[in-house]
Amino acid sequence: MNVVFIVLVTASLIMLCTVSPESAITVMLNGVSGSIQLALKLCAIYAVWVSVLSIMEKTNMTNGLYRLLRPLCKKLFKGESDKAYEYISMNLATNLLGMGGAATPMGIKAVEEMSKGKDKASDNLILFTVINATSIQLLPMTIISLRAAAGSSTASDIIIPSLIATACTTLIGGLLCFVLRGIKRKNKNKPNEKPLYDKH
Amino acid sequence: MSNYIVPVLIIGVIIYAVIKKVNVYDSFTEGTKSALILVFNIFPYIAVILMCVELFKVSGLAKIAVQWLEPFFTFLGMPSELAEIVLIKPLSGNGSLALLEEVFNEYGPDSYIARCAAVIVGSSETLFYITAVYFSTVKIKKLRYAIPVALFASFAGAVIACFICRFI
Repeated sequence: MNVVFIVLVTASLIMLCTVSPESAITVMLNGVSGSIQLALKLCAIYAVWVSVLSIMEKTNMTNGLYRLLRPLCKKLFKGESDKAYEYISMNLATNLLGMGGAATPMGIKAVEEMSKGKDKASDNLILFTVINATSIQLLPMTIISLRAAAGSSTASDIIIPSLIATACTTLIGGLLCFVLRGIKRKNKNKPNEKPLYDKH
Repeated sequence: MSNYIVPVLIIGVIIYAVIKKVNVYDSFTEGTKSALILVFNIFPYIAVILMCVELFKVSGLAKIAVQWLEPFFTFLGMPSELAEIVLIKPLSGNGSLALLEEVFNEYGPDSYIARCAAVIVGSSETLFYITAVYFSTVKIKKLRYAIPVALFASFAGAVIACFICRFI
C-alpha cells in the first residue's frame, strides 16, 4: 500500500503542477471531504448492520450459520480458530446476499481473528482478501436499479452474465492463490533437500 | 423478491432473539457503539484512498492511463470506451458507478457497451478500498501477492464479461 500511495500521489501531484498547481490543495481537500461524507454514510450503515449482527451473536444464530458453512470454510481456510470461521462464514453469507454494508464489519473482524498480531499476511488471509475483492455477489441490485432508472427495457438480463463473470473472477483468484501457495511450499522444501545431497 | 431479503431477515432475527430471551434493545445499542468505533478506526484509510482517487482523476493522470490502456483493450476484444471504468473500479465504488451512469446516458442502457460496463461493475469489488478497510485494525503491512492476484482476477473477469455479453 505504501508504494501504491507514494507513486499515485507523487505522479498525480507532478501532473497537476503542469496543469493547474493552484488547485492542488482544493483537490486534496475535496477528496478528504468526500471521505467524511462516506464515513457518515458508513456510520449509519454499520450502526444498523453491526447492531443486527450483535443481536445475532447474542442469540447464537451466527453459530448456526457457521455450522452450515463450516465444511467449506475449513476446506478453504485450514487451521483457523472457531471464532475466525464464524466471522468468515458470516462475511461470505452477507457477501453472497449482496449486503456489502453487513459484509465489511464481519470482514474486518475475520481479518483481526486471522492476523494473530503478525505483520505479514498469511496464505489464508490473502485468499480471504482475494475472495472479498473479487466479490461473489448473487444479485447486483444496485446495478440493476441503475439500469432500470436509465430506461432499460431488460434491466435484469445482466444477472446471468454477472453471475458467470463474478464466479470466474473468484475462481481465477482462488486458483491463483493455491498455485502461488504451492510454488512457495516447493521453494521451501528445496533447501531441506540440499543437506541430503551434500552427504553423497 | 430480493426486496424482501433485508426486512424479513431483520424480523427473523428479532423474533428469534425474543424466543431466546435476549435483550434486543441493549444488544442493538451495543452494536451501534461498536459501529462508531469501527468507522473511527477505518476513517484514516478511507480519507487517504479518496484523496488519492480525487488526485488521480483531476490531475489528468487517469486520462493518460486510459489512453495507454485502449490499444490493449482492443487487442483483447473489449470496447476501448470501457478502459476508464476498468481502471477506476478497483479504486472507487462511487466513481465507477458515476462512470457507469455516464455510459448508460451516452450509449443507452441496452447497448453492448452498457451491458459490458454493467457486468464489469456488478461482478467486481473496489479492491483498494476493501484491502485498506479490512486491514485497518491489524498490524499487517505486507500483503504479499494479494493485490496483484486480485487485480489480475478482476481484469480477467472484465475480459470474460465482455465476451459473454456478445451472446445476450
